[in-house]
Amino acid sequence: MAKLTPKDIDSKIAAGLDESGDWIKVGMSTCGMAAGAGEVFSTLQQEAKKRNLEVRIKKCGCQGMCYAEPLVEVHCAGLPDVVYGRVDKETAIKILEKHISAKTLVNDNIYEVRTRRQA
Amino acid sequence: METDRKIILLADTEQSQQDKLRDFYTSFANQIKDKGLEDAVSLVRASDIGIYGKGFAVKILPRGIVYTGVKESDIGAIIDASVKGQGTVERLLFSEEPKQIRIVLRNCGVIDPESIDEYIACRGYGALKKILSGMNPAGVIEEMKKSGLRGRGGAGYPTWMKWKFTRESQGDRKYVICNADEGDPGAYMDRSVLEGDPHSVIEGLIIAGYAIGAGMGYMYIRAEYPLAVERVKKAIGQAYECGLLGKNILGTDFSFDIDIRLGAGAFVCGEETALIASIEGKRGTPRPRPPYPSVSGLWCKPTAINNVETLANVPYIIMEGGDKFALIGTEKSKGTKVFALTGKVRNSGLVEVPMGITLREIVFDIGGGMLGDKPIKAVQTGGPSGGVIPVDQLDTPVDYENLQKLGSIMGSGGMIVMDESDCIVDIAKFYLGFCVEESCGKCAPCRIGGYQMLNLLNGIAEGSGSLEDLDKLRRVALAMQRASLCALGQTAANPVMSTLRYFEQEYREHIVNRKCRSHKCRSLMTYSIIQDKCKRCRVCVINCPVNAIEGDREKGFFIDVSKCVKCGKCFEVCKFQAIAKE
Repeated sequence: MAKLTPKDIDSKIAAGLDESGDWIKVGMSTCGMAAGAGEVFSTLQQEAKKRNLEVRIKKCGCQGMCYAEPLVEVHCAGLPDVVYGRVDKETAIKILEKHISAKTLVNDNIYEVRTRRQA
Repeated sequence: METDRKIILLADTEQSQQDKLRDFYTSFANQIKDKGLEDAVSLVRASDIGIYGKGFAVKILPRGIVYTGVKESDIGAIIDASVKGQGTVERLLFSEEPKQIRIVLRNCGVIDPESIDEYIACRGYGALKKILSGMNPAGVIEEMKKSGLRGRGGAGYPTWMKWKFTRESQGDRKYVICNADEGDPGAYMDRSVLEGDPHSVIEGLIIAGYAIGAGMGYMYIRAEYPLAVERVKKAIGQAYECGLLGKNILGTDFSFDIDIRLGAGAFVCGEETALIASIEGKRGTPRPRPPYPSVSGLWCKPTAINNVETLANVPYIIMEGGDKFALIGTEKSKGTKVFALTGKVRNSGLVEVPMGITLREIVFDIGGGMLGDKPIKAVQTGGPSGGVIPVDQLDTPVDYENLQKLGSIMGSGGMIVMDESDCIVDIAKFYLGFCVEESCGKCAPCRIGGYQMLNLLNGIAEGSGSLEDLDKLRRVALAMQRASLCALGQTAANPVMSTLRYFEQEYREHIVNRKCRSHKCRSLMTYSIIQDKCKRCRVCVINCPVNAIEGDREKGFFIDVSKCVKCGKCFEVCKFQAIAKE
């Protein structure tokens, strides 16, 4: 990566975080990993590929809700951002099939719903 | 693509069975169907919506209306008002300001910790750019002074003063060190920050280096945090590649390097002088202060040592201004504090709260209350250097001064919630045992005093204590506080002292009545078989490791107290609750 100039930093800050498109974030800190986030992450990657879904699977740090790890945050156009907790392989697949493909929320694993992106 | 469908979330905010929520869900779904709204609405069961102890909650999106304490009879009214119409049902409406403020954890869980681009996109390294393009070191320290930030490692020393003294000290070289040797039992705030947002700590360290005139910084991380070490290593590499570390940062004259040093897991190395000795390659033992590290630290050069959380606050303060930071918190304790909430609480995890919030709010409003709704007994803060705060002090606002008044400390941020099943003597024994094990042995008060206190506590827990022991404990504790070389020894007696202060009665019960009301102290327990409940199945007889259960199916079975080792196996295996534990 090239050395940055002060201007580069300004423009990168102005551009902000790229949150376009549909994405899924998996909490991959020690608390998440211990609860099985690694498996959830690879399941999401494989199953999304299998289903040809246009969704970015990303990693992130600890959100603080360690009791509900592994945590998976889902951003999907037309729906509020949802944080699913205690996600296992089956729930991960449900998230892809229901939340991303069918645009309906998955029962019983929702731990937080964020409305900020909804106008 | 914005759908017009309303989303209705249903959640049970009590800790009751999920089946009840399913019934509630079914009747809600039926009423929606009856009113012909099933295509306009999607109904979802949520596990948690951040509200606790308020019955059934209903949240309607996209408007974000929240109702609590909803009964089945209210469903119709809610559907008419807020699903069909644009109104609300006033009497059930719930609104509350969020209790958490995220400054230190601003990026944790938001960005990919392994991507410097995402960090910069969230205004990262903007603070570094800001100081390098127009703030002199004195200006940076002035901004820190305005913020009122105090060290988050435990003692709460004002960060700006530490920086100012180090800046003013004479020395051809100066150093900054990030203390990431987090070792309190039950505390993991620093680990989460390093794993979730390593660049914010690195940026804070570079700014500290600029402010005090250092050219070199060390991150002292404990080796038990492999993932944190890996991510920090990666982040430092990225920062070098981008020219944010190394020579002539962002094209200016300022040069700064960072290296990682791993701690081998000694608790005492979190003490600053021991930490310095450890980096120098010596045995990690503290030395007397003064001279303070700000005068003579690493390799006898002026050194500023800051905790991970302190440094993570720095970029925010520089970007947003010290005045804005100082709006949060109390008069003497500014900003937020991250706590690792653990123990018998429903939602254990990390919370970041403004200073001045009460313990009750943390445990009940954020933590969701006690596990299994058992009554709360106490909250332990500050780890092995802290104390136990009893239930009647739960409404005290949390800041450095108040916690100290209560005989505890802020510490690094461990917060362990206890219920009636926790024995106070056992807890004191645990923390003191930790300090005895971790004592480096250099000074006598800590080495000998801790050991003697632990012996006394063991005696009390085994039923061989006397009432004089309580006075002896107090005397030894005082000697340790006064005469120990470093904070480890000076504070090691805190858990014992604070429990003696608030729970002396429980100590006395152990000594006088030889009873442990929480059934934790094994030596004070007796097991017996309740003949009325016993079905004479012999499961306990088979499982007893010392053959202490005698008798036969005709006469019944009895536990021979002289043989019993109180392992509790019979209690565990009995299917008829026929074993009594007293």
